[in-house]
Amino acid sequence: MHIVRRTMERYVTLRDEDWHRIAPAWKEHAFSKGSHVCRVGEVEQRFYIVDSGVQRMSFPHDGEDLCVGFSYDHSWSGAYDSFVSRKPSRFDILAITDSVLWGIEHGALQELYSELPVMDRFGRLILEELIQGRATREIEQLSLSAEERYDRLVKRSPHLLQLVPQKDIASYLRMTPETFSRLRAKRS
Amino acid sequence: MLRVLRIIAEQVAEHDMDSLQLISDLRSTLEEQIARAQQIRALPAAQLLHRPAPEQWNTLEVFEHMNLSSGIYLRNLREVFDRKAVKLKFNAVFTPGRLGAYSVKSMTPRADGTIPLRMKTLGKFEPRKLDGASSGSIDRFVTMCEGFLALLERSEHTDLNAMKVASSLGPIVRFRAGDAFRFPVAHQVRHFRQIERVLRSAR
Repeated sequence: MHIVRRTMERYVTLRDEDWHRIAPAWKEHAFSKGSHVCRVGEVEQRFYIVDSGVQRMSFPHDGEDLCVGFSYDHSWSGAYDSFVSRKPSRFDILAITDSVLWGIEHGALQELYSELPVMDRFGRLILEELIQGRATREIEQLSLSAEERYDRLVKRSPHLLQLVPQKDIASYLRMTPETFSRLRAKRS
Repeated sequence: MLRVLRIIAEQVAEHDMDSLQLISDLRSTLEEQIARAQQIRALPAAQLLHRPAPEQWNTLEVFEHMNLSSGIYLRNLREVFDRKAVKLKFNAVFTPGRLGAYSVKSMTPRADGTIPLRMKTLGKFEPRKLDGASSGSIDRFVTMCEGFLALLERSEHTDLNAMKVASSLGPIVRFRAGDAFRFPVAHQVRHFRQIERVLRSAR
């Protein structure tokens, strides 16, 4: 089954006739390692589903890139807040490995939302999921120690440690690379 | 050094060209490249990302490399056209400059398919040291070729000898406008051969 359909069907059931209407709106995009899916200052044109590869979401601050998250197989990617607001992105989305993403453009998605109730429902469900994710992360950021944040990440996304440069994970966990490698050595 | 001397020695002086014929040849090459680029854009992403070897470019990176290098010529040509093109009369003859003739020659594969002068890519043309490459690189390549086509349209009413265009090495090395079209287009022909090789290796 098509990756987009399979991903959508985690949330809603699509009849074949719905899928035939939806499928042409999704296009495949390739990003070589080191290229940007979206850059600070650009308006995000698409909402993406990740077929393969890892992307890093970060924003520049005091000459550093502060990492706020990663997207990978079967998750969402792109600068979603810019996509919905149609305002310039405050985030960089960088392909840190060669990546294949399926994207839908803003106008096409709005059309599908208004034409198909099942699409509208899909849109609502992923938003609900995104909001829960944000809430969890806010609590973790403010209440957990560096060590606990590290343990949570290892438990939730162990494969990230293999795929992502250490400095990005350290930035994501809001610790120095030194603290990160000390923790890592301690745990293994 | 010896190799460079041999290339210069093997070079036959390039003759005067019929300007309209040159424009029409460049136009058809660019149109072929646009058509092929659009076909390639529709190929599966995994094929576009395929590298024949870890240190070699994938198809998208070859396109981005062409954007980086030909883009300089398009910008410089535009700038000179906007300043000078309307002030000049049409010249039916284009005479390649020495530097232009040499540069195009070194880009064009010999009859046996070998390349006269292999070059190491300069850092400023190496996508992997810059902003990488994506499907968008192919879209930008098409837009860039359309930019060249628009200037070729205007070339039918001006003089491709009289306008001088800074090369990608900077304003010290300048091409005649005709050569500033011929060189990037020849460079692209060479890289399209590479693209076909890379794509074949992905199957």
